[in-house]
Amino acid sequence: MSPHLSRSLFVALLALGAGSLLFDLTLPLRLPSDADWAEAAGALRASARPGDAVQIWPVWAERSRLFVDAAPVLAEEDPARADYLGVARLWVLSLPRTPFFASPEGPLRARGAVPLGAEQRFGALSLQAWDLRAPPLAADLTRSLEEHEVDYVARRCVRIPIGGRLEARGAAGTSLHVRAGVIGERAYDANRPPVVVQIFADGAPAGSLEVPRTVRDGTGWRRLDVPLPPGAAERDFVFAISSADRGRPFCLQAWTTAG
Amino acid sequence: MSDKGLARTLGLATAAILALTQAPVGFVRDEGYYFTAAQNVEAWLRLLLQSPLQAIAQTERYWSYNFEHPGLTKLLFGASHLVFTTWLGVLPDSLAWRLPAFAFAGLLSYWLCLLGLARSRAAGVLAPLLFWCAARTFFHGHLACFDIPICAMWAGVGVAWLRAPGPRLSAAYGVALAVKHNAWFLPPVLAVHALLLPREQRIAALRKLPWLLLSPLVLFATWPLLWHDPLRHLRDWVAFHLHHVHYAWWYFGQVLRGPPFPVEYPLVLDALVLPLPAATLLMAAGVSLLWGFLRRRLDAQRLLELGLAGAALLPFLLTTTPIFGGIKHWLGFIALLAPEAAALLTRLAPERRQLAAAAAATLLPGLWQIARVHPYGTSAFGELAGGIPGAATLGMQRQYWSNNVTAVLPWLNRHCPPGARVYFHEVNAESYRAYVRTGQLRADIRYAPDPEQSDYAALQWHREFRDREPETWNAYGTRRPATGLYLDEVPQVVVYARPGLPGAP
Repeated sequence: MSPHLSRSLFVALLALGAGSLLFDLTLPLRLPSDADWAEAAGALRASARPGDAVQIWPVWAERSRLFVDAAPVLAEEDPARADYLGVARLWVLSLPRTPFFASPEGPLRARGAVPLGAEQRFGALSLQAWDLRAPPLAADLTRSLEEHEVDYVARRCVRIPIGGRLEARGAAGTSLHVRAGVIGERAYDANRPPVVVQIFADGAPAGSLEVPRTVRDGTGWRRLDVPLPPGAAERDFVFAISSADRGRPFCLQAWTTAG
Repeated sequence: MSDKGLARTLGLATAAILALTQAPVGFVRDEGYYFTAAQNVEAWLRLLLQSPLQAIAQTERYWSYNFEHPGLTKLLFGASHLVFTTWLGVLPDSLAWRLPAFAFAGLLSYWLCLLGLARSRAAGVLAPLLFWCAARTFFHGHLACFDIPICAMWAGVGVAWLRAPGPRLSAAYGVALAVKHNAWFLPPVLAVHALLLPREQRIAALRKLPWLLLSPLVLFATWPLLWHDPLRHLRDWVAFHLHHVHYAWWYFGQVLRGPPFPVEYPLVLDALVLPLPAATLLMAAGVSLLWGFLRRRLDAQRLLELGLAGAALLPFLLTTTPIFGGIKHWLGFIALLAPEAAALLTRLAPERRQLAAAAAATLLPGLWQIARVHPYGTSAFGELAGGIPGAATLGMQRQYWSNNVTAVLPWLNRHCPPGARVYFHEVNAESYRAYVRTGQLRADIRYAPDPEQSDYAALQWHREFRDREPETWNAYGTRRPATGLYLDEVPQVVVYARPGLPGAP
């Protein structure tokens, strides 16, 4: 090795070590303190109203659950496609100084959401309200009080045995939205047949949703959005679940929207 | 100080540091099994002392538990506990079980130092430091498991192959064989090494090779399970590892559940979890050895180091070998690159002050990582991954599987009412019993099988077990945790309490 190369590598090693140490020593400064969390939670307490929800970002920032008590805390992994059912105003509580942070602003704007007011800062935390501009909810047909994990996100869905059916009456609105998936790791069971949801509105077929075995993470929560034909303002909906394999835990969420 | 004296000093220092820092290290899932195995062994040893013939007749009863791993380390764990805890009462349970693992860790430092000393005295000191100055390797040094012992024997067999006479090589390989099945890969490495040596050395090495045929005697002697029906037990041992289950493992946002795994997986993981300067230097060491090999410039020792490092890694490049357990299954790869990495460091910084600066630049990030993350070493990530928060954003496995629960045991002890039922999630019953036995968990706290039947839940954050948290919310009627372990904000263990119980928010 030539002396010049050796010298250059020596300097590079020192720089690498110094840079690494600098990153290590400054990382805690880029993270929120308990006081930051408490301040953000206080601000939410002062401003939140019914219909609000808090989206944490990155989704692993779940320490927020220790502090935030003014609105439900959501950890949706894809803000562009998340349903945010019944949420009128979304507060995005984020840690923008963490490594590899990617702002959720782009995905939120892509779905038509617009920021409300200025971003607030609480130390290393950022709080920004968003108007989701979502069509108004006509009826929450599944009205689940429980949550179940499908595709690694807690979903407010109702667990229905495969082979069973769910009947619900509610305002029809203009569109029907159905979401379904297999709970937990069973979604990945190999060589399993798909689960099919047949949907009827006032006895007439309104669509069907197939839930195949999940192969790739992020594809397990299946979606169906269909316009409802004109008819009665309130209708009886039936969701019939079937599959050749009834052994897996299955979860369904359905609602209608107006406008 | 003589070279051997220096190596011995580093070995003893390693074992002492591990012993002094082991108390807060939780029990990884497998360690709970090995503690149980060690207790069985201890019972067998007591029977052996009282009634030898009966003990020899009853090996199946005491040794068939954890049949998938050979007997030596479990024998040592059990014997250590028998002597230092049961008889002398001078060591707590976990320290006594783990003591033999610290001895293996000390041996690893000793042998790495010897390999480094073949280059220079500074390389002798730096080689073990490069291996241990990382939260992951430091963590694994603490466990009554097989990963550090087989890593040590990987180096030990190498040193014996290079320097020891046949009988000592035979003994060293016998110990390796009696520690873990990874040792099956060593004879081919030694044979290929012998064939690649210059003629005179080749003949001497090939003459030494048959000594390995005696090594299974050590395996047989230290694994009483083989004393009856040995062929069946050997078959079971081999079959277990040929058909090993694949555990889910989160990697760049995807849960890997089975083959084919990414071919680059072990190298990428090393780069992400080790401190960046050390990872860079180790990578440079690998390149240096490969380059030397291609140019036929490697002496016998460096050629062997390349072979051993490669053999430790190779199974995990095949895309079909189970990849769970972070970097623990190919620690030998890191260890056998460390002497070359140490030598590179000394070549870059030939003067004393330069070397001190270069060593500090390489080792301080690792020491900082240990200071900040210990005893939660399975959660550690290096600078390339952006530390623990960066790795969480990248979608990397956060921990494996349950040792971090020690962070919340004091809280549970303080808040749980008498007889409270706790859902411990990935903490298996064996580890739970060990926590009770070692006094880390109150004896009246009961082990609950699921959130529904529990009063408190200590959930370990695993991507593949995310369903447990909503289950707990549904069972408890709250989504607000009571406490938890968050490393650099990233959830590791989250504790929920039923509303109305002590500690509930």
